[in-house]
Amino acid sequence: MPEILGASGLSVELGARRGLLRHRPGVRAVDGVELSVREGETFGIVGESGCGKTTLARALLGLQRESGGEIRLEGRSVSGLAPREARRVREAVQYVHQDPGAALDPWWRVGATLAEGLSIHGIPGRAEQQARIAETLAAVGLDPALAERYPHELSGGQQRRVGLARILLLRPKVVILDEPTAGLDLSVQAAVLRLLRDLRARFGLTYIFISHDLSVVRRVCDRVAVMYLGRVVEQGPAETLFAAPGHPYTRALLAAAPRLDGTQTGPALPGDPPSLRAVPSGCRFHPRCGLATPDCAARDPALEDAAPGHRIACLRWRDAA
Amino acid sequence: MTALRHIFRDPVAAFGLLVVLFAVFVAIFAPWLAPYPDDAFESHLLQRLRPPSMEFPFGTDNLGRDILSRVILGTRNALVVAVSVVLASMLIGVPLGLAAGWKEGWMSEVLMRVTDVFLAVPQLILALALGQLIAPGIGAAMVALALTYWPFFARTVFAETRRLRGALFVDALAGIGASPARILFLHVLPNAAPAILVRATIGMGFTILTAAILGFLGVGAAPPSPDWGLAVSEARQHLPEAWWFPTFPGLAILLLVLGFNLLGDGLRDAADPRLRRSRR
Amino acid sequence: MSIPVLQVQGLDVELRSERGVARILQDVTFTIPRGGTVGIVGESGCGKSTLLRAVLGILPKGAETPRGAILFDGQDILTDHAASARGRIGFVPQDPYLSLNPVFRAGDQILEIMRRHAPGSRADHKRKIVELFRAVQLPDPEGALRKYPHQFSGGQRQRLLIAAALACDPALVVADEPTTALDVTTQREILALLRRLVAERGLSLLFVTHDFGVLASVCQEVTVLYAGRVAESGPVRAVLDTPRHPYTRMLLACHPDRAADLAGIPGTVPAATAQPSGCRFHPRCPLAQPSCAAAAPPMQALGEGRAVACPWYETPLPETALA
Repeated sequence: MPEILGASGLSVELGARRGLLRHRPGVRAVDGVELSVREGETFGIVGESGCGKTTLARALLGLQRESGGEIRLEGRSVSGLAPREARRVREAVQYVHQDPGAALDPWWRVGATLAEGLSIHGIPGRAEQQARIAETLAAVGLDPALAERYPHELSGGQQRRVGLARILLLRPKVVILDEPTAGLDLSVQAAVLRLLRDLRARFGLTYIFISHDLSVVRRVCDRVAVMYLGRVVEQGPAETLFAAPGHPYTRALLAAAPRLDGTQTGPALPGDPPSLRAVPSGCRFHPRCGLATPDCAARDPALEDAAPGHRIACLRWRDAA
Repeated sequence: MTALRHIFRDPVAAFGLLVVLFAVFVAIFAPWLAPYPDDAFESHLLQRLRPPSMEFPFGTDNLGRDILSRVILGTRNALVVAVSVVLASMLIGVPLGLAAGWKEGWMSEVLMRVTDVFLAVPQLILALALGQLIAPGIGAAMVALALTYWPFFARTVFAETRRLRGALFVDALAGIGASPARILFLHVLPNAAPAILVRATIGMGFTILTAAILGFLGVGAAPPSPDWGLAVSEARQHLPEAWWFPTFPGLAILLLVLGFNLLGDGLRDAADPRLRRSRR
Repeated sequence: MSIPVLQVQGLDVELRSERGVARILQDVTFTIPRGGTVGIVGESGCGKSTLLRAVLGILPKGAETPRGAILFDGQDILTDHAASARGRIGFVPQDPYLSLNPVFRAGDQILEIMRRHAPGSRADHKRKIVELFRAVQLPDPEGALRKYPHQFSGGQRQRLLIAAALACDPALVVADEPTTALDVTTQREILALLRRLVAERGLSLLFVTHDFGVLASVCQEVTVLYAGRVAESGPVRAVLDTPRHPYTRMLLACHPDRAADLAGIPGTVPAATAQPSGCRFHPRCPLAQPSCAAAAPPMQALGEGRAVACPWYETPLPETALA
């Protein structure tokens, strides 16, 4: 399947300040990321807090300007633009926030919020807007009467559905879902995941699915990228990656996920992730890696093919297996 | 609506609201409520400095005018001054606060430092100086008050805008391609409205007090205008015999300033969701 | 046979407000034996945090306990919480970021708790804290005494709070979703630490969670709550492998590791002010009979320590309910 959204050598620097007298360097929250999302798939991005997954999403969306590298959308290069211009060019990419309640203006009724997106995108007629809103609310499984409510009157699951409806109204091709199940109860989560799957088929969507919940990612994603400190350390088909993880970090991450059968396998991962302000030399994971050799502190591994479509950035992945 | 319910549950704020509503009522219907509406300008030297009686409940002043009528007629003056000053301050302060809060950079730095300078100078002194500079009179006093009060609005709106700029819903709006103007005027401004309203209410009380002080010092309203501060000032020469002369205009100032401040405090509590939750 | 550390017997908790009486917990019964680890699971609105507050003696204003008892070491603490349980129940809160006062040194905050509840001098207390810091594997235990909360990472702060919970030698430790705010790799370490402390110190643990995976890795026994009632209880392995109550069965079928297809449960958890009659799950239950709406089914013992509040526990769910 052809690529719909891709990036090469993508870097994002955060918090840099160019003052008159001193120049404060920022941190590289995303550092040289390669990825290629195919049309119609669900592409998972996993990693722990501070790994740069949300920054990466915001850069792909255009809200955060990249400091280097290229972003491609449907074969065209769309990088190097200021946020407003970038959002105009990347209209086909939309983003659903992690906290859907806080992403709605508390002073606006749900219906007004939904209509606003349509007005911004040049669909002014009130009748046309109302028809589309009713249709989309129904598509996400909500009663169209909910349009009269305020955000705080909705449950967490309903807010999430409104967040989705708001994006779907704009007829996107790629939807970035940031932790779409965080904070949801198991039964609600199952319903939301099922809805996402149905919507993907119905509207021909491509998903970028950001999550820290590995069980969910394994369940819904076609391909997965694992991030650690601003880098993609492993990328591949979900089945292969979960069945035979190659990077030591991926293995520690999978081993750490609590399982229903209560078993714990694989090595524990000692220590906390280092800060972006003090990125280790060579392979960023080497201070916490059980397989690290002196070479790992010196050489920065690039992603290499371990199997068709399965890429690992580790000098010692062969020894690990 | 919930804010109003909240006000009524708070007896102190409800009292403030009642006082303010009563003052507005009095101001609107002043010519019909005042027993001697012509006493705004006419003097009756034969009935100078009469103590309170059935005929003149608040007594008469040094020119024989009914003090009750002048207090009633003065309400309109006080409120007109307060409303115009607060509106003018809002017109200057709110856009500046929005602009400085939204954009980061030297412009916003300069704006906020100018605001700081204005806030650092004692308002009364600045108003006095400006009043003297332009020419004493109620118009000059109002200009001076507006020029000294806008920084409070700029500050409030700046802080609100900075807070809201980082809010998730603003980010989401940018995500679906909303223009900064749309975000600022349709989303940030309404969300900042409670804070602006609280600031305006407290500003009304403050302006009434400052206007009265300016009148008292002779750089505000000029005779024969039925100004409360002016009345207190004129009464000084007739103390302590004519105690009623400064007392009733003074009480009117006290009551209305208190009313606005209590209402403002109540609105602040009603607008603060954290406080609202803790009270429940 | 010694007395269990904690016995909750037929506990009701009601909360009176302007909107009416919310029956938050009804007829909740479970026991934590000495050295036992019991998990309370359920979705939001099931009453697990109220249960935890009742055990800790910090129910909110307006909450009443018209029926039932909470026996701690055999003494009813509902009537006299202050005398019997103070300082003897340790608490590990949910969010390590919010649970420490940022302007005081971590060590001083624990010393303050010990000064009030534990005998001994300040020097004794300090020695004890350093020993606890070592036990929870905080790096540099002596130095940690003088550090401020922001100088610790999230995982270290949770270790610190576990040490604080153990400071007064509690007979029971209550943990409220202690790993929800943490990353998975950190969560794994904290869970391993809890398991080790339980084993080495013979702690009794009441562990509230919504995550079945976390439950499976820490607890021996589980009590499943739905809308303020116990749906099912028993050994964790047995309940997770062969759930009996239709709610437990459907909920576990929603778990991404297990689901044949992502099913969900139709409807929503009822509001505490509008609980359905009879079995509270009956409006959402595919097995419901008219009798389910009439009276709440009693807990039936199934042997091997298991019990379930449903007469249809052996009836298979219809295919459509799991599809």
